[in-house]
Amino acid sequence: MKIMVCLKQVPHQDARLDIDASGTWIKEDNIKFEINSYDTYALEEALQVKDAGEAEVVVVSIGPDRVTQALRTALGMGADRAVHIKDPEADGSDALAIAKLLAAVAKEENPDLIYMGLMSEDGNFAAVAPMLAELVGMPHTTGAVKVERTNGSVTVDREIEGGANEVVELQTPCLIAVQSGLNQVRYASLKGIMAAKKKPLDVKSAADLGLSGQVGVAAAKLKIEKIALPVKGDTAEILEGSTDEIVSGLVNKIKELGLL
Amino acid sequence: MGSILIVAEIQNGKVREASFELASIAQRVASTSGREVHGLVYGQGVDAQAEAFAKKGGGTVHVVDSELVAHHNAEAANIVIKAAIEASGADLVLMSNTPTGWDVAPRTAASIDAGFVSDCFNVEAEGDQLVFHRRVFNGKLDARMTSAGGRVIATIQPGATGAFEGSTDGSVSKLDASIGELKTRFIEIKQAEAKGVDLTKAEVIVSGGRGVGAPEKFTEVIQPLAEVLGGAMGASRPVVDAGWLPHAYQVGSSGQVVQPKLYIAAGISGAIQHLVGMKASNYIIAINKDPDAPIFEVANLGVVGDLFEVVPALTAAIQAAKG
Repeated sequence: MKIMVCLKQVPHQDARLDIDASGTWIKEDNIKFEINSYDTYALEEALQVKDAGEAEVVVVSIGPDRVTQALRTALGMGADRAVHIKDPEADGSDALAIAKLLAAVAKEENPDLIYMGLMSEDGNFAAVAPMLAELVGMPHTTGAVKVERTNGSVTVDREIEGGANEVVELQTPCLIAVQSGLNQVRYASLKGIMAAKKKPLDVKSAADLGLSGQVGVAAAKLKIEKIALPVKGDTAEILEGSTDEIVSGLVNKIKELGLL
Repeated sequence: MGSILIVAEIQNGKVREASFELASIAQRVASTSGREVHGLVYGQGVDAQAEAFAKKGGGTVHVVDSELVAHHNAEAANIVIKAAIEASGADLVLMSNTPTGWDVAPRTAASIDAGFVSDCFNVEAEGDQLVFHRRVFNGKLDARMTSAGGRVIATIQPGATGAFEGSTDGSVSKLDASIGELKTRFIEIKQAEAKGVDLTKAEVIVSGGRGVGAPEKFTEVIQPLAEVLGGAMGASRPVVDAGWLPHAYQVGSSGQVVQPKLYIAAGISGAIQHLVGMKASNYIIAINKDPDAPIFEVANLGVVGDLFEVVPALTAAIQAAKG
C-alpha cells in the first residue's frame, strides 16, 4: 500500500508577523519555519499505518529551498521518499494551482490513500485537500479525528459541531484531511535523522509536471490585495502598571461583578 | 453579470441561521451590483424549508429533494450544487464555513475551475469587482482579496453578519440533479459524550491556552485561580491537541460553547474557533504577552503581560481578599 502525505512548510506559530513591502504578505526572511501542524498529524497517521507493517509513505511539499528541511524532517520521522516541487514559477499559487501540482504527483505515484491537514496555519483556507480529491477523482472527507481501514474502504469519524462526530465510509483510494489532535505526533529519532539523509528526495518543476503556465501568481483566480493588522474597534481596556497595580485593578473588577 | 447563489444548509430539519446570514450578504451585494439572488435548498423532505427560505431572502429557490442528500455527503452535495450553479447562472456562490461547507465548497470550486475563498467575514461589490475580507495566521491579520473575474465560490464565517431581516417573494422550483453512484457513504452521527466537566453551568471559567506551556502548569497556575473564584477550568484547542488536558475541558466551536459571568483567558491567542466558544460571556478578561493577540478584540479588560506573573499574584490577592 502506498500513502501520499502532503505537507506545507509555514512560518513558525510564534514567528513575528511583519508585513512585507508589497503589503500583501508577511516578511519571510529572518523567521523560522516549521511543518504545518495539521500536516504533522497527517504524517503521523501515515507512519502509524507503516509501523503496522503495511505501507510506503511518500511525502510531498511545494516551495523554495527551505522546504528541503521540512521534507528531511518528515523522512527522519520515518517517511520513505520525498518529492519536492521547487519552482519559482509556482510562487504565489492559489489553492487550485497547488492542488493541480499535487494531483500531477499523485497521478505518477498512484497512492491508495492521500493524507494531509485540514488547513494551513498561515492562509487558513482549508481548500487544497477537497480540491485535490476532486482533481484525482477520489472521494474525500475533512476533519478526521479517527480513521479505521478495512478491506477496500476507510471509515472516518469527522469532527462536526458541538463536540459531535459524523461517521463516513469512503471507498479507497481516498483522500483524508485530518483535524488537529488526531494522534500524538512523534519526534524524529537520531537514528531516523541519520537515515533520512540517504532517502530519496526528488525535485520537480512545474514543467516536469506538465503545468507550466498554469500555476503561480499569474494563474491565481483571487489575489490578496492587502494584509494588515485588524483595525482595533471595540477593544479591551488594557490595564497598565506594575503587577501589583494590575492585580489590584483585576480584583476590583471581579468585586464589581459580584464574584468576590 | 451572473447571479448570486446561496447554498442553504439544513440542520435539525430546518434551514440554519447561518444560511439566513448568507442571504443578508447576498441581498446586499445583489442590490449594489445589480445581480439576481438564487438559493439552493437540498435534503430530504425540505419543500417547506425551501418556501420559508424564499420568503426570507433566499431569492429564486431551487430545491433538490433526495434521499441521497438526506444526510451530509460531500460527493452528492457537490453534484447538487453544480446543478444549481448551472441552473442559476451564478458567478458568485455563497456557502457557510461550517463542517458541511468546508467539506464540499472547495471541491465544487475545483470541479468548475472557479476561484475559491473561505471563512470571509464580509463580501462587498466595489464597482465591477467583488472584494472578500477574511483573516489569516489564525486570526492575527486581516486580508482583503479580490477576484480577477470569473466565477467565485466563497464560504462565510457563521455569525460574522446578521441574518436577513426583511421578507421577500421568491419562487420555489424543483431542480433535477442526477447523483448516480457514490464512493462516499454516511453512516451515523455520534453525539458528544456526556462530559465529566460541564462548563456551560460554571459562573466563572478560567481557561488556559498554548501559552501555559505544559500540562503541570495547568494544575499549578490555572486551576488555583479557577478554584479561588469558585469556578471551572477550561482550555483552548491546542492544549487538548497536545494531550495536556482531555477534550472535556475544551472551549470552542468543536468543544463547549459557554457564557459564564466571567471568562478569564490566559495564554490564549484567540483563534476564531475559540472565540466562537466564549465571546458571548458576560465579561471577558484576557492575559497574553502579545498585544496584537486577537483575544483582545473580544475582551472587556486586557493585560498585556506574563501570565506566570499575573495569574499567581491574582490568585493570592483574591485569596487574601476573601480573608
